[in-house]
Amino acid sequence: MHDLIVVEGVSKRYVTSSGPVDALRDVSLSVGTGEFCTLIGPSGCGKSTLLGILGGLVGADDGRVAIDGRPVDGPDPRRVATVFQDPGLFPWRTTLENVEFGLELQGMPAARRRRVATDLLGPLGLRDFAAKYPRELSGGMRQRVAIGRALAIDTPIVLMDEPFGALDEQTRVLMGEWLLEIWRRTRKTIVFVTHSLHEALALSTRVVIMTARPGRIKSVLELPMPYPRAMESPELVGLRAKLWSDIRDESLRAMQ
Amino acid sequence: MNKQIVLIRAVILIVMLGAWEIVGRTANPALYVPPSAAIPALGRLLTLHSYPDLLEHLLLTLREILIAYAMAIAAGLGAGFALGVNRLVGRAYGPILAALYAVPAVVWYPSLMLFFGLDAASKIAFGFLLGFFPITLAVLAGIRQVNPQLLVVARAFGADGVTAFRKVTLPAMLFTLVGGLRTGLALAVIGVIVGEVLGSKSGMGSLINHAYGLFRTPDYIALVVVTLVLIVGSDAVAALLERRAQRWTE
Amino acid sequence: MNETVRVRVVQLLSVAALLIAWEAVARAGWVDPLFVPAPSAVARALGRIGAAALAGLGETLLKAAIAYVLAVVIGVGGGILLGSVRPLRQAVNPFVIALYGMPKILVLPWIMLFLGFGATPAVVYATIHGVFPILVLVTGAVRDVDATLVTVARAFGARRWQLYWKVVLPAIVPTVLAGMRLGVVFCLLGVLVVEMFAGLRGMGYVLSSLANGFQAPELFAATALVSAASIVIVLSLDALNDRLSQWRGDLR
Repeated sequence: MHDLIVVEGVSKRYVTSSGPVDALRDVSLSVGTGEFCTLIGPSGCGKSTLLGILGGLVGADDGRVAIDGRPVDGPDPRRVATVFQDPGLFPWRTTLENVEFGLELQGMPAARRRRVATDLLGPLGLRDFAAKYPRELSGGMRQRVAIGRALAIDTPIVLMDEPFGALDEQTRVLMGEWLLEIWRRTRKTIVFVTHSLHEALALSTRVVIMTARPGRIKSVLELPMPYPRAMESPELVGLRAKLWSDIRDESLRAMQ
Repeated sequence: MNKQIVLIRAVILIVMLGAWEIVGRTANPALYVPPSAAIPALGRLLTLHSYPDLLEHLLLTLREILIAYAMAIAAGLGAGFALGVNRLVGRAYGPILAALYAVPAVVWYPSLMLFFGLDAASKIAFGFLLGFFPITLAVLAGIRQVNPQLLVVARAFGADGVTAFRKVTLPAMLFTLVGGLRTGLALAVIGVIVGEVLGSKSGMGSLINHAYGLFRTPDYIALVVVTLVLIVGSDAVAALLERRAQRWTE
Repeated sequence: MNETVRVRVVQLLSVAALLIAWEAVARAGWVDPLFVPAPSAVARALGRIGAAALAGLGETLLKAAIAYVLAVVIGVGGGILLGSVRPLRQAVNPFVIALYGMPKILVLPWIMLFLGFGATPAVVYATIHGVFPILVLVTGAVRDVDATLVTVARAFGARRWQLYWKVVLPAIVPTVLAGMRLGVVFCLLGVLVVEMFAGLRGMGYVLSSLANGFQAPELFAATALVSAASIVIVLSLDALNDRLSQWRGDLR
């Protein structure tokens, strides 16, 4: 399996009103094609920053980032799509028009755009909501539209920054199951940021645990188990305990 | 403050004054009065040489503004609360008020001049008319934006209607209200001055008209400067009060 | 009776009651008909001066329309520029606020000295009047465009012009419409002020000369006419605003 995403020695420092802050220090990571890689860690550990760097929205101060062998120096909508915690749907566009957005920017002709977006609505579970505006959709639906928008441009890589963070727990679990289904169908490479241990264990093929600020990679957990995951199995219960013990220290440190 | 910004502002000011000066010196003296000629005119004005009864006119304008504003506050608060407290009254007359607000106020002025004549009364009436609307609208907006949850809490603690109004609604809407009062003052001032310029025998506006009519352009500029100081001064006082109110409510 | 019906009833009854009371008071001679004419007299006067008043109104509206187009173009264009370029906005801001708060009538004599009499000073003055609210509103709206939406667009590879065309412009439409609604009243006001000040042909002149001639019924009629026209224009803009803002729901 060839490494699609390669991160080597990446650091990022922010200058704030109370002095410089190291968000990331010397982070190295690689993600193989077709993986579902989760980044997990305490608040402020820089996981969102790292995702921003992967997506070309934030520049690294040190180190290099390569996608498919090519260095990253800006957003690359042919290779990487991003989903944010705030769905960021354009309120003046209908569901269909929001899903089409990326295709519009790339200059795809209107009729073809419409077809691609409409075809996606089925798997998104939004077929009856094509002409609705974001204010008419629930939080879960809006996030599905945002994911649909990312899927529409058919990139090999999809980055997701706590996409289910604003949803209630039941919706989160269902959305996670739905996302797995989409992933298995589309065979994309997903880099997923979350706080949730459950999500990390239920969804990923690999979990990367980050330290408290300044963020580094603390440990990596491989999860080769098949889907759907039997969360009560002794194997997963044990992994959960290990995951928690790794994170707990970092969370405590972050709280100080 | 950012040095770049201060620099840009200074450049703009210098360019404007410079252009004014150059154009003023090279063109028709009746029209293009350069700053260098305006400043002595200002001096002549302030030493009461060009217009000896300047103070009378200034005081008259101030009086008109104060009376118009006081009336606007009284009527504005009254109408605002009447419309805001009773739902049916508010929904019935609110749209009528909004429709009237869509009419440029100056169309009422000739009628006011007919009714009140050319004296202070028509200027006061016009200033009142202009100042009244923003205050009423501010009261309505203020009442509407009070978080209803706060009133639920007050009732749960046993407050009756009047108490809830005094202790919850009033403080919660104070900030919006004060903003409306400030706008009302600005508009009352504009109303009085516009009224004076469009037709009166006394007041700052009439002096401006007078200077313009006689092509005494430097004096006209000096009068405008003095009037502007008056206006900016009144708005500065209002802004100060607004900030005090802001500190109370936050 | 549901509430909307009750509201309408109250409105109609109030207006009717006002007119009837007014008519009665006028007929009873409690007010001098020279200053407060009866509604019936006003109605008759409307018939008499109707044609002349409409002609004057047309003049005024034409000048206001030209000023309006200019004000919208300059206001929206300037607003987008100032909203996007932060140092420029911060530098220019005090000047804009100062000019916005200043009663523009103070510079009207100067404008007339430059431009003489006629339609030009009226259009220029009205444009200045209408530009400021639009400029200030649009600047604020561009500055306050939801940062998440901009990030999303950039993440999807939007180039600079695409950011403006597909994100900023649609996002500021509600504010532009609100500004345009204000601008209409301001531009109309500007034209009327100049007509009254300088005796130019138009509704302003019609109103002030009727006032000078103590023709109260005709004056009231003309005032009612221009008020009605203004209300219709603004209500039409509101209706347009509603149609273009479906995606916002009840947020207006």
